[in-house]
Amino acid sequence: MTDEPLLRVEDLTTTFETDAGRLVAVDGIDFSVEAGETVCLVGESGSGKTVATESITRLIKEPPGHIEGTVRFEGRDLADCAEPELREIRGADVAHVFQNPQDALNHCYTVGWQIAEAIRIHEDVGRSEARARAIELLGRVGIATPGARIDDYPHQFSGGEKQRVMIAMALSTNPDLLVADEPTTALDVTVQAQILRLLDELKTEYGMGVLFITHDLGVVSEIADRIVVLYAGKVMERGSAADVFERPSHPYTRQLLGCLPGIGPPSAGGIPGTLPDPTDPPEGCRFAPRCEHAVEACFEGGQPEAVERSPGHRVSCIHYHDGYDESVLGEPPTRLGLADPKAEEDTRTGGDADDG
Amino acid sequence: MGLARYVVLRVVWAAVVSLVIVTATFVLMAAAPNPAIQEAATQAALEGGDPQQAVERERELRGLDEPLHVRYLDFLTSIYTLEWGWSDHRSQPVTEALVEGLYYTAQYSIPWTVLTVLIGPLVGVYSAANMYSWRDHAATAFAFFGYAIPNFFFGIVLLLLFGVWLDWIPVVYRTDVAVFSLENARQLALPVFVLVTGSIGAVMRVSRNESAEFRDATFMKTAKAKGVSPFRAYAYHVMRPTLVPLSTTLVSQLLAIFLGSSLLVEVVFGIPGLGRLTFEALVAQDTNLVLGATFVFTFVAVIGNLLEDIAFSVLDPRISYDDR
Amino acid sequence: MPPERFDRIDWEEHAGSSGFSASINTVAFVLTALSVLALAGYDRLFAAERETVFGALARDVGVGPRFESLGIGADPGALEYLFVITLLLFVWYLLAPLYQNPRMTRYYWDRFTRNRPAVVSLGWLFVVFAGGLLGPLLLSAPQQDVLAGHQPPVYLSIDASNVARCLGETVGGRCHGTWRYPLGTTQAGEGVFRNVVYGMTISMQIAFITTTIVAAIGITFGTVSAYAGGWVDEALMRFVDIVLSFPTLLFFLLILYIYGAGLGMFILVFSLFAWGGTARYVRSKALSIAEEEYVDAARISGASTYRVVRRHVVPNTASSIITQLTLLVPGFLLAEAQLAFLGLGDSGINSWGQLISAGRSDLAFAPWIVLAPGIVLFLTILAFNFLGDALLDALNPKTEAERGR
Repeated sequence: MTDEPLLRVEDLTTTFETDAGRLVAVDGIDFSVEAGETVCLVGESGSGKTVATESITRLIKEPPGHIEGTVRFEGRDLADCAEPELREIRGADVAHVFQNPQDALNHCYTVGWQIAEAIRIHEDVGRSEARARAIELLGRVGIATPGARIDDYPHQFSGGEKQRVMIAMALSTNPDLLVADEPTTALDVTVQAQILRLLDELKTEYGMGVLFITHDLGVVSEIADRIVVLYAGKVMERGSAADVFERPSHPYTRQLLGCLPGIGPPSAGGIPGTLPDPTDPPEGCRFAPRCEHAVEACFEGGQPEAVERSPGHRVSCIHYHDGYDESVLGEPPTRLGLADPKAEEDTRTGGDADDG
Repeated sequence: MGLARYVVLRVVWAAVVSLVIVTATFVLMAAAPNPAIQEAATQAALEGGDPQQAVERERELRGLDEPLHVRYLDFLTSIYTLEWGWSDHRSQPVTEALVEGLYYTAQYSIPWTVLTVLIGPLVGVYSAANMYSWRDHAATAFAFFGYAIPNFFFGIVLLLLFGVWLDWIPVVYRTDVAVFSLENARQLALPVFVLVTGSIGAVMRVSRNESAEFRDATFMKTAKAKGVSPFRAYAYHVMRPTLVPLSTTLVSQLLAIFLGSSLLVEVVFGIPGLGRLTFEALVAQDTNLVLGATFVFTFVAVIGNLLEDIAFSVLDPRISYDDR
Repeated sequence: MPPERFDRIDWEEHAGSSGFSASINTVAFVLTALSVLALAGYDRLFAAERETVFGALARDVGVGPRFESLGIGADPGALEYLFVITLLLFVWYLLAPLYQNPRMTRYYWDRFTRNRPAVVSLGWLFVVFAGGLLGPLLLSAPQQDVLAGHQPPVYLSIDASNVARCLGETVGGRCHGTWRYPLGTTQAGEGVFRNVVYGMTISMQIAFITTTIVAAIGITFGTVSAYAGGWVDEALMRFVDIVLSFPTLLFFLLILYIYGAGLGMFILVFSLFAWGGTARYVRSKALSIAEEEYVDAARISGASTYRVVRRHVVPNTASSIITQLTLLVPGFLLAEAQLAFLGLGDSGINSWGQLISAGRSDLAFAPWIVLAPGIVLFLTILAFNFLGDALLDALNPKTEAERGR
């Protein structure tokens, strides 16, 4: 084996043709996922997180979408793969869990049918074996009496259970990479924690890489090994979870962290302003129009070259370039309020009985 | 369990509806002067007899001197025991005449129903998959054309074109050809085509618009992410949920065409089926046969509505039977 | 700024314009409708059997034959009076509010005009409407003239042996059409064009009167059902089930068979069996609107149920009801034509179906008698369908993104 990561995305650009013109949803981003690690894509709604992950196996509808760049997965460039090859990879090697389990399951088929479908597409197994595997998977993701519930329809499951079914479906073919697109956003807080823990366990058990999308930094602090901060289709900052949380560098990251209760000043009420128009992105740094530390140079050229602050921790901000003084950014917000994930583990209640 | 109870309830309800319609018919009949009695009086007057006496005799003969509720019960009994009386105009029992008519009606009704059910949803889903392509536009144009052109007018024009001017198909319907023969297929081709054109438009439109909604649903993305091919995704994940709202349109459209247009089409093409039978009974003032034909169509409508409800609830797993 | 929509507007908010003007519309409607009713009453009580109402009016008022010189010589029947009243409803409750809310009208008009077939359809329906309204005033009713039978339309010709007397030129044994009968004549020598124009009147009468009855019954049943709730709701909805299960055409045939029926009975029976869908729709909409906060607000501030229905439920469902009604009309027109074709229609009227039926026996050599009214009927049904479809799209915010190409 080479030392190539499980997934390496380079210069990924995804655009959409719309009435209002060409919309650049993801603009030349890079990231990678190693086997067995969890990488979090973080950003506001509309920052291009979902589009970026759905571009990996080309789930984006083309046209109106258009994907450019390199997506190396297990040594293959998915950008060169024809549709039938991609279909082999989808589900079997790269599995997805979507945000809203309510809509992500087809309401007209039993959950058993839908899990078995995923298995039988990729493996030459009989109906009864696929069913047996589906029951086993439902049990593994924590559905009580899976044998009795396999023939139930999605509407007979609670929201948390549905997300468990989605996870079971994603795991049914032992994927190497699991893409989880805000899998807990639509769920109750208590259920959220259970799902997160389940994902974490399964990651270790199956040795998968997990690409986790969220806008919830609380969730990130609990599960992330590495973090990629996206803003308006560009990577602002990336690094290990420790780097980003201990030494947040980009003004955007700092303000995001500042929005967390207990970290920023008590008066902090979110980041003023809105995301730039994706059909007409601003010159210079994408965040400059909303950045309180923006100087004239921030509005010129493209996104600033990323600077490596420590190995693996890179930040795309002009204030870290030569000739600028990063001290204008002030002290980063401290993580005093963020509970230590390990400590929190003990206080959680176990069991899934009250799932819905 | 829930389903069985629901079906039983719907069947009972269908029986109630049919009873209401039969009762309405009885009220209509009872409130009107019976043409046969009028005729008897006229006849008696013409022959120099006593019209009053003739009326009495005729009333007695027809059981009209009984009290209303007795007549109503008799009426119900005869309707539901299929004792539908004698057709003066056909000189045979009404039920026999109706069965004969049904024989010819079925010969073209089964083909057009099958064709509509098979082609309509397929074209609709295909349209949704290729929305705004020229094929979609062509299908939409055809759907609107078929929906808007009056069946009987379309039939006349086609008969003029292919029967009279081009002489490709026989103008006169022949009852002496075998059911499964080329001749029969040739003479039924136009009526079947006309009726399919009329019924398929709405089916295509509804399946197109409904499946367009499911085409963009998140579960289609799930399916794609699972590695499901586009064909399989449409065939299973779009088609199946589309069938739920479509079942309603499909049944009601077939019923509407069957009840509304088959009569016209039979008259245009000279097919001696149920519709033509009804028409001739109306013209010949054959009350028993008119009533009998009305009941056949009514029962078809009631059973069709029943099937529509049951199909809808069987197809949609989310329907809870306890709510009804 | 998100554009305003029927669905989103709380019409109460617009009390400054529509709240006040709605009452003006009502006053205007009542006044105009009363004058029509007065005329009808006068017609019934004072005008002599063989006299036209305007003739009688002119005599009584003493203006001489002035009405007739203006072309108002028609002698309206009950159906015509009803038609005029539905037209007044249409003017005061649909056209006037559109005129009074120009901003909203422009917004919908812009969305509507994106759909080109629908604009053409609206144009065609306007032609039919105007033809039906003005045609009988400008053209006298088609007259029989046996000698002028089977004249071909202009620019077409027919073998001279099929025509008793050729009114146009006869060239090489073929009779050519004349402008006197632009669409040719029937066997009885009636002008097909005049017949088609008079058919427009019938079709418009059917369209307006049936939809008014359907809307009135459907809205009443729907709102009563939604607000009464409980067993009343259950009973009414079961009743709707039954009404919808009736095979209308057959039932009408039965009535026709037993009692005989004209156009008035046709309109009555078909509209009495067509309101089920509207009632169901209004009911479900009324139930969902009752959940809206502004209705709560209205109720808390003391609005009666009637007021909530009148001011919130009806305006908010109006657009969908209009769409539904638009899609119902083709069925009525088709049914009338079918009955007329079977020879079971009202033989006293010049409907398109009557014309098709009249031309059927001459189809082989004089196809225009069937084709002209058939095509006009087809186009009208098509136009109503296109229009309904476009309204559905224009009023449904969901389709905006989809159609936004």
